[in-house]
Amino acid sequence: MATRSILRRVSRLPTRLGARIGLLEPEIEPLAPGARPPRHTFRWDLDKTYLRTEFDSLADLAKSAIETAADKQAFPGATALLRALRQDDHRICIVSGSPTQMRQVLAAKLALDGVEYDEFVLKNNLKNILRGRFRAVRAQVPYKLPAMLRSRIAAAAPCETLFGDDAEADAIIYCLYADLIAGRVSLADLERVLIASRAYDDDAQRCVDLARDVPKGSAVRRMFIHLDRRSPPQGFRRFGPRLVPVYNYFQTALVLYQDKVLSARQVIFVALEMLDSGQYELGHLATSVQDVIRRGRVSRDTALQLATDAHEAAKSGALSGRTDLPPFEQIAEAFRARVRELGTLPPGEAAPEEPLDYVRLVDEEHEHRRNRRKQGMA
Amino acid sequence: MHRIVVDAMGGDHAPDEIVQGAAEATLGLTGAEIILVGDAAVLGRVLPRMRHDGARVRVHHAPSHVEMDEKPAEALAAKPEASIAVAADLVARGEGDALISAGNTGASVLACARRWPLLDGVRRAALAAVYPTELQRGDKKDPFSLILDVGATIDATAEDLVGFAVMGSAYARLISHNRRPRVALLSNGSEAGKGPAAVVAAHAALVETTELNFIGNIEGLDIPRGVADVVVTSGFVGNVVLKMLEGVSETVVRLARYAHKERLAWRLGLVALSSAIDQLKSITDWQQYGGAPLLGFTHPFIKAHGRSNARAIGNAVKVAHKALAGNLCANIARTMAELDERAQRRAASD
Repeated sequence: MATRSILRRVSRLPTRLGARIGLLEPEIEPLAPGARPPRHTFRWDLDKTYLRTEFDSLADLAKSAIETAADKQAFPGATALLRALRQDDHRICIVSGSPTQMRQVLAAKLALDGVEYDEFVLKNNLKNILRGRFRAVRAQVPYKLPAMLRSRIAAAAPCETLFGDDAEADAIIYCLYADLIAGRVSLADLERVLIASRAYDDDAQRCVDLARDVPKGSAVRRMFIHLDRRSPPQGFRRFGPRLVPVYNYFQTALVLYQDKVLSARQVIFVALEMLDSGQYELGHLATSVQDVIRRGRVSRDTALQLATDAHEAAKSGALSGRTDLPPFEQIAEAFRARVRELGTLPPGEAAPEEPLDYVRLVDEEHEHRRNRRKQGMA
Repeated sequence: MHRIVVDAMGGDHAPDEIVQGAAEATLGLTGAEIILVGDAAVLGRVLPRMRHDGARVRVHHAPSHVEMDEKPAEALAAKPEASIAVAADLVARGEGDALISAGNTGASVLACARRWPLLDGVRRAALAAVYPTELQRGDKKDPFSLILDVGATIDATAEDLVGFAVMGSAYARLISHNRRPRVALLSNGSEAGKGPAAVVAAHAALVETTELNFIGNIEGLDIPRGVADVVVTSGFVGNVVLKMLEGVSETVVRLARYAHKERLAWRLGLVALSSAIDQLKSITDWQQYGGAPLLGFTHPFIKAHGRSNARAIGNAVKVAHKALAGNLCANIARTMAELDERAQRRAASD
């Protein structure tokens, strides 16, 4: 009996050790039999999307690696937004390119912020290095796409919203994922994209197998690209109207309000978190509204409706205790004035909805990254 | 937060270069908001092509604009909603703190003059220009001196010239980080009694001031030498001098081109000097200075060169931001009040 117990403990040692040093990652658990599938899945990247992370130089990387959970900073409004999205039939899935060794500190940061999630996938770069797969260390598509497909296989929702940034290939990966599960990209095309992405043969095959098995549907309604590098938004027009580049999370909240995912009260909470950060003033938020209207991402009607709904929310206590803010009517008028400044501007031209050439996009992204490396920027 | 209003439709390279310069400036200046004034539909197409912070750049619609070659007064009368008029209005209404334009100089000055009050104690506004000099000045080692007035008005009285000296000195202190800028009057001789009556009277008044580092009169040849950091003159003379200095510089470049074509030995000489010439070009590059300030009003106005590109506009935004952060207008008003008080005391004691 004692021998069997010792043997069992010894047999678990590699698993524990592997998990400790980040060699083994927890598998994504499928939904329990009989469990209700999620109605809406929100997939988040972490670095430069939720967390303010610098990894443009080796020094930045080293700093990021030794930061404690308390040192890490979320973008203003991101925490309030993630909390607002956490509802009974919603699923929050985090897929990050950070190494698995960061799990403890990142999980602690999310816990500190009061952010709950259903999945948390990190990149196992130590395993890649030990297997001599150095290409995979930098590769984005061959890592993130299968992780997202695996997650959808485990728990498919009829609606999905994706959050990424402009630092890596998030826009390409998210669109590819959306088109793949909608059946708009064939498996043969996927193979070509994976070859262009320099995926190892077995990884590529596994990804194709996942794409074959993934539940199909036009589930991805919206993708947000946080413009952390302040990339020109025009560069994202080719991805179509479903992908919205945003400068801050108030703009994200506005679009989600328009999509009827968030209520006016939840938009207010995002705005308040941004104001409390000290990095934004009411004027910045009003200018952010003007920006998304000008770019045709939110309609004037939506902005006016939000003002009405937010007034109701304010009356029912959404701004109670906020003596630091002017009366709501004054705030709403400032926002309306910012919209009026545009004159009789016709609604922004909608981004074209054309099929994307993913092989070309991946090639361009590699070229872009190479150029940035040459310039010492990444 | 400083709200810097930019006439996005003024200038030879408007709106693209103007929008790019102003938009990119927001990435480095977190305490500034840019208000681009111009055709909202056009700006709405240009702005998304530029790197910027969407929470710090906004658009204010203006349906028309003044062309570079239009007559200022007539153009402003015919186009009351021209971008420069709307921009000056925004500042006058307190919705902006400073203004930048690379457009029609006359129309810009007129638009401001009609809407903005002069600072207390200032009788006339002055347009200042920078000119490259041999000597460098201030903590920033600026290789430029400031000349004012270069054309905001034609004539100037002795009181006007004293006012120009105060305004130029305050600007040089703030923008060039020059703690005690050397101020001089432009005349036809260094002696106190030389020059027209207004210059002689201004000399007598400036010698009495302790607020300024007045070094006396200088002659035209002292301007490029950099003898003074702030050169004070009437708008008529200033404009003639500035244009002549620019003409001389262009002629020198043309002569060098001629030499380049004429003889192989001269060409080789120019090639040998090319790195030095490049160095000289970079330190005297007007684009790095941003623009010429219109001084004397309750708000800073930076008149950028008509040929301004994005870099020049970006620098103009930085200058405007610095003028606001350093409270330039309040500093000028305070010095003017001190001078006024002393003059009154002197008059009473006399």
